[in-house]
Amino acid sequence: MKFRKSVSTILMVSVSVLALTACEEPKVDASIFKNLEQCKGDPLTTSGQCENNFKEARSQHAAVAPKYSTAEDCQADFGADKCEVAPYKSSSGGSIFMPLMAGYMMGSLLGGRGSMMSQPLYRSTKSPTSFSTAENRNVGSKTGRTKVASSATSRPTFKSSTRSRGGFGSSGRRFGSSAT
Amino acid sequence: MQRIITTERPNLAGVAAEHELEYIEGRGIIGWDESAYYQFTQRQIEEDIQGPSEEIEEMCFQVVDRAVSNEEVLGRLGIPEFFWDYIADSWRKGERNLYGRMDLSYNGKGPAKLLEYNADTPTTLYESAVFQWEWLEQAMKLKLIPEGCDQLNSLHESMVQTLPQLGIEGLSHFACNQDIEDDKGTLAYLEECAQEAGVETCFLGMEDIGVDDQGCFTDLDNRVITTLVKLYPWEWIMAEEFGRQIPSSGVKFIEPPWKAILSNKGLLALLWGMFEGHPNLLPAFFEDDSAAAEFINTGTYVRKPMLSRQGANIEIVHEDKTLEHSDGPYGNEAHIIQGFQPLPEFNGGYPLLGCWLVASKAVGLCIREDRTLVTSKDACFIPHVVLD
Repeated sequence: MKFRKSVSTILMVSVSVLALTACEEPKVDASIFKNLEQCKGDPLTTSGQCENNFKEARSQHAAVAPKYSTAEDCQADFGADKCEVAPYKSSSGGSIFMPLMAGYMMGSLLGGRGSMMSQPLYRSTKSPTSFSTAENRNVGSKTGRTKVASSATSRPTFKSSTRSRGGFGSSGRRFGSSAT
Repeated sequence: MQRIITTERPNLAGVAAEHELEYIEGRGIIGWDESAYYQFTQRQIEEDIQGPSEEIEEMCFQVVDRAVSNEEVLGRLGIPEFFWDYIADSWRKGERNLYGRMDLSYNGKGPAKLLEYNADTPTTLYESAVFQWEWLEQAMKLKLIPEGCDQLNSLHESMVQTLPQLGIEGLSHFACNQDIEDDKGTLAYLEECAQEAGVETCFLGMEDIGVDDQGCFTDLDNRVITTLVKLYPWEWIMAEEFGRQIPSSGVKFIEPPWKAILSNKGLLALLWGMFEGHPNLLPAFFEDDSAAAEFINTGTYVRKPMLSRQGANIEIVHEDKTLEHSDGPYGNEAHIIQGFQPLPEFNGGYPLLGCWLVASKAVGLCIREDRTLVTSKDACFIPHVVLD
């Protein structure tokens, strides 16, 4: 049967659509700490694991934290005294602002896997008691060993500060459908 | 090639709802007609459709190879100068193509003729890959069509297999004009294929894209965009405000920039120029070419804007009489003149065959049937079977 594709493929498409809508997202083990000291105080982590993961999260922080062109805008989202100057400059030479790192999250340390990916966490004014990732995924307020949505553990991306928007789309409004 | 009347499946409203297609009581599934199907033999599919489509694709690559270092050609295609080096680089770096759809006039007997190549933003992907396949399986089970029917359709697996080979790293953004439901539907299916292939995806409207101080593009969360699967034509992008930022943006595009040479109907004139007389090509000329004037004098030709879509602004002249002249917003563009190969007529309908290429392999077929010789967005998708 040269042209026919496998039946399982069509089923996979239908199933994946169902999976997105009907099922709850799977959760994974993670450990969340406000700072290095809190991690070191946790009986389930070694000092070395705490330090390595903290360093890893800090090294990502400047790149992945949300960026703002004014301190006021940053503080509106994260609170007064909760923002710092980012190590980037705008093209006009002005400062760029980002929230302080409020904690960090690392993968489960069960079975001694100390080299899990770690990432910085933040606390916004909208949810002051819980932590969020740089991708704005809420990971709850519990510190120490916890469970978080699997998708919330994905690698954070570089955040820039947008200068302007809307420079695409005008032809679409003129001509209608893009596709042929 | 036969057009065979059959019975629709029961509960089409339910079927439509499952696939999020529009259903109207009394009219059925909008844009889809399963009261009939087209039937081909295996030989017709392999020798008259698949083989020629893949051959034309190879010829297109030769056209691109020549065009990228030819400023006269790039200018003639209307590609802005600031894009020329960028397009040439993307071709020389070997940036890979994902998909495209060749529109062919074919009546089952003679060689199929290329009418145009939707090389950048083809639509009806979901209907071609998934919906048409499900019809085949269910229609056979319900005995609405004979046993042993096959279909030129390995579109879904081909997409899933090819996506990981495009060199995408990290998050891939998927963008289109958010106001167009059809475009959003096609894009959502592309996203599903990418997810199945293990690619991380997210959606945004073209109008939501921002630019930062370094000239990078950003999404609504200010994430820098590194890969963009766009269901939005290159020629529109190149002409818009952020178009100038593209060459230095560092974004990997699907389809890659060199596809801008193929998604332009000027391609047809370039193909004829390089491969005059090829059995699957119609004569074609840029309108300002002297050869075009000679061709027009024969009294039979088709005049098309180089950048029109969905059958807009097409004029068919036969023996000095205008047979068809469709409406549209593209009248002010540069035009090409092409030979006239009428679509065959079956029961008052004119089927246009769309051969899908994924990674340059012919893996899918869709048929859209209109009531006129020009196929517009009112055309209906009719399923097909392959049966010897």
